[in-house]
Amino acid sequence: MMLRLVSLAIVAIAAMFGALLVGGTPISAHAIASALLHPRESSDIAIIVWQLRLPRVCDVAFVGAVLAVSGALLQGLLRNPLVDPYLTGVSAGAAAAIAIALLCGVAAVATPAIGFGAGLATAVLVAALARRGGGLDPQRLILAGVSLSAFFSAIVALAIVSAQSSNYASAIIAWLAGSPAGRTWHDVALCVPYAVLAAALVVPAVPALNALRIGEAQARSVGVNVERVQWLVLASAALFAACSVELAGMIGFVGLIVPHAGRRIVGSDTRLLLPASALIGITLCVIADAVCRTVAAPAEIPLGILLAFIGVPVFLWLFLRGRYAR
Amino acid sequence: MIAVRGVSLCAGDHRVLEEVSLSVETGTVLAVVGPNGVGKTTLLRAVAGLHSLESGSIAIDGVDVASLPPRARARRIAFLGADDTPVESLSVRDVVGTARYTHHRWWEWRETSADASAIATALAEVGIGTLAQREFSTLSSGERRNAWIAFALAQETPALLLDEPTTHLDLHVAQRMLALLRALARAGRTVVCALHDLNEAAAYADTVALFGSGRLRSFGPPDVVLSSPIVDEVYECPVERVRLRDGSLRVYPSGERTALER
Repeated sequence: MMLRLVSLAIVAIAAMFGALLVGGTPISAHAIASALLHPRESSDIAIIVWQLRLPRVCDVAFVGAVLAVSGALLQGLLRNPLVDPYLTGVSAGAAAAIAIALLCGVAAVATPAIGFGAGLATAVLVAALARRGGGLDPQRLILAGVSLSAFFSAIVALAIVSAQSSNYASAIIAWLAGSPAGRTWHDVALCVPYAVLAAALVVPAVPALNALRIGEAQARSVGVNVERVQWLVLASAALFAACSVELAGMIGFVGLIVPHAGRRIVGSDTRLLLPASALIGITLCVIADAVCRTVAAPAEIPLGILLAFIGVPVFLWLFLRGRYAR
Repeated sequence: MIAVRGVSLCAGDHRVLEEVSLSVETGTVLAVVGPNGVGKTTLLRAVAGLHSLESGSIAIDGVDVASLPPRARARRIAFLGADDTPVESLSVRDVVGTARYTHHRWWEWRETSADASAIATALAEVGIGTLAQREFSTLSSGERRNAWIAFALAQETPALLLDEPTTHLDLHVAQRMLALLRALARAGRTVVCALHDLNEAAAYADTVALFGSGRLRSFGPPDVVLSSPIVDEVYECPVERVRLRDGSLRVYPSGERTALER
């Protein structure tokens, strides 16, 4: 299994390097490699690589990794293969807040931070509604996540209808389509502490997530503090999802599909599944983003839309084959 | 030793058991018997620290179970419910190996030689060593029950609490399983089983706790408890007793015995 993990890492690195080759200015692989090895150079190529392409590729890789890990965590916790990171309400809450902010004339540059904050606030609300005793009720969590998402989607639709006569409607729709365009090193750096915090929260819960594979009752009997694991995993998954919202808006399906692919490659052992999901998420998003930037160049297809086009058929294929693992 | 003192238990708003007091000596097997819904499972869950008490206390080797953190509790008591939880994409060994969770701190992610030995021993003891690599979901219900019992054994606890351990097991395997549990008790473990078959209780238990109408109705050696007319009253049917040549007692609903004699 370790060999498979190493192979996934090599593929992810190769995908990231390949994505650096894609852009308006043709640059050879040798020149890209040279620019990567000499970051202090001030040549045009070094500037293109370090200021334009690498931040974009790292941003997308980051989004792919956190969404995939978030999905794997929630699917493992709830033992439900149809759960995705947006069940936490993060994206719907963020979308509603950003739609309202844009309507109120808030500068577009402030929207990622607004989305991050509102997304996390919605996750807290979903968790509060799903609370039972000292822990979370999985069924209530799903119902609260779906209900609140529907509620916030209605707010977004209302905002779009209200903003039809202005430029704001297109800004809201662009955000909903999901795109990492325009993000810089600064945006990535802003999210790193939150992702590190999310990882730190979930690492102690990894053995417990493995124990939960045999069911909550059995996990309790071997000493798993299920309530604590639920809170740790939900907090971690919400933070990861909020990071992705901050960096690329609404990107669907990665968190749903990638953990399935991860389980097929390395099995359901959480110790392997989380890094495998992260690596597959990186590969998928980086390749998809490169396609988005090239197929209609100089225009760009939103990443969220392309991933949905890939994601839906893949998901249906997985679903219809009926062999997906929990 | 497990000591239950004045324990009352509720399931939701419903009071299930009232003022139960009993003790289980180390190295013995206690059979908990009684009609369906009398609270046998709830009592076992409470002893395992998985069900909160309305009143009273439960101690294992002098330590209050409620005061133990989950991992410490699971190092002393293994509890196996009667439910057959569906498990996907895991081998039998993976499932049994999960029982070792309690012996690891959160940063200890690797399987140790002690884990490997405990898993292998548990699988061999219940006679499913050859099924170790089989996918758990492909087992028959009886094989899965065996695997779950191996899971409880792999926890390597001084106390074993098993809810209907012989469910889904064929006659031969059920007898072998009960003999194994008795042997484990003789080796120093404390075993508590909720059983439906009074004859299994008569043949393998050292002590029987008979529950009825939310109370402990009789507690003592199988011969004493099962000879009592309280059995007829608790099960709401006339019961006939048969003394076998080896002196052991068998219990039948009176109609069943008549049918057997014909």
